[in-house]
Amino acid sequence: MHEMSIAMNIVDIACKEAEKEGAPSISIIELDVGKLAGVMIDSLKFCYDSVCKGTLAENSKLLINEIVGRGQCIKCGSEFDIDSFMAICPTCESYEVEITQGRELKLKAVTVNE
Amino acid sequence: MCDTCGCGVPGKAVSFRKHGEDHHHHGDGHTHSHDHDHPHDHTHDHRHDRTIAVEQDILGENNLLAQRNRGYFEAKNIFSINLVSSPGSGKTTLLEKTLTALKDTECAVIEGDQQTMNDADRVAATGVPVLQINTGNGCHLDADMIHTAYRELQLKNDSILFIENVGNLVCPALFDLGEDKRVVVISVTEGDDKPAKYPTIFDQADICIINKIDLLPYVQFDVEKCKQHALQVNHHLEFFELSATTGEGMDTWLKWLKDQISK
Ligand SMILES: Nc1nc2c(ncn2[C@@H]2O[C@H](COP(=O)(O)OP(=O)(O)OP(=O)(O)O)[C@@H](O)[C@H]2O)c(=O)[nH]1
Ligand SMILES: [Mg+2]
Ligand SMILES: [Zn+2]
Ligand SMILES: [Zn+2]
Ligand SMILES: [Zn+2]
Ligand SMILES: [Zn+2]
Repeated sequence: MHEMSIAMNIVDIACKEAEKEGAPSISIIELDVGKLAGVMIDSLKFCYDSVCKGTLAENSKLLINEIVGRGQCIKCGSEFDIDSFMAICPTCESYEVEITQGRELKLKAVTVNE
Repeated sequence: MCDTCGCGVPGKAVSFRKHGEDHHHHGDGHTHSHDHDHPHDHTHDHRHDRTIAVEQDILGENNLLAQRNRGYFEAKNIFSINLVSSPGSGKTTLLEKTLTALKDTECAVIEGDQQTMNDADRVAATGVPVLQINTGNGCHLDADMIHTAYRELQLKNDSILFIENVGNLVCPALFDLGEDKRVVVISVTEGDDKPAKYPTIFDQADICIINKIDLLPYVQFDVEKCKQHALQVNHHLEFFELSATTGEGMDTWLKWLKDQISK
């Protein structure tokens, strides 16, 4: 789950952005996390506060937009929501499904104080 | 510390050691710096909040370092393999047997474990150059560790680099090391629903080795069901069924390896 290293990367990126802007502190960090990104949001939140200690992001809020999984069937081309990697096409029942959305692990925005 | 797998702060306690060496080289702890200690004494009568759009991949730094490794391997015509599995599925045994059989091919090994030189010592007994990375509390290797490790190993041109990741079926999935192929090893003592329980690692793999097939008569493990589960997760997977101890099925694996370097 390595959510600790993920949390450290998040805070690193956010602090660098805030420093570039000369901001004294960060109030919100906003993420896009796909349901199939391999990250447990609860563990991430758990790690986040401890990683923020002593940084510009201390006491900041973590805002997570969960992105639902989407797949496209290679056989028949239909598109549908998926909630796991073991997706089966609802139209033709093929499991040759390409995941088109849900792997996101992105830092969207940082809100800083001035 | 992460409550899920117990991993701690990565990068801090990482050490790199060659077989027979008694001193540790410590990693530089990456570029993580957490001492943002700036005084800010300007006064404001009201606070403005401002939102900066960042739009950055959270694993972007690792991905960039992995691409650097990939470029280095490509330039030196090195075929690199990242072996991932849960603890004890037979990665080191497979390596010992593979390296012994590939006597005419230049090989090198990077071993990743939280603690001990055991796996590096086993590999060193085959005569192949090996470097042990001890990740301390870290539950996966990352691209920066691999970069440090191969500079120490001084890889030869036209060779194969085997990387044995830390035994863990979850965490290594997200960390690209710059390898050509990711190989997930599962042994028949683990249950044929492993791919359904740990899909992320199968999703990111190219090859799936089903090991310990000599034990099939003694355990309830349906090889076809396991493959079916794995293919549902990732329909691009290629399979090898073998026993690293008895050598059964090793020839197809070795032939595949040789085909990769003659490409
Ligand atoms: N019966 C049988 N046992 C095997 C086979 N391959 C490995 N083993 C045994 O499985 C145990 C673990 O093997 P290792 O090669 O150390 O496994 P590993 O994946 O490197 O383990 P970690 O590095 O700790 O994650 C040892 O006792 C091996 O002898 C096999 O094909 N058949
Ligand atoms: Mg091992
Ligand atoms: Zn972990
Ligand atoms: Zn963890
Ligand atoms: Zn379909
Ligand atoms: Zn790291």
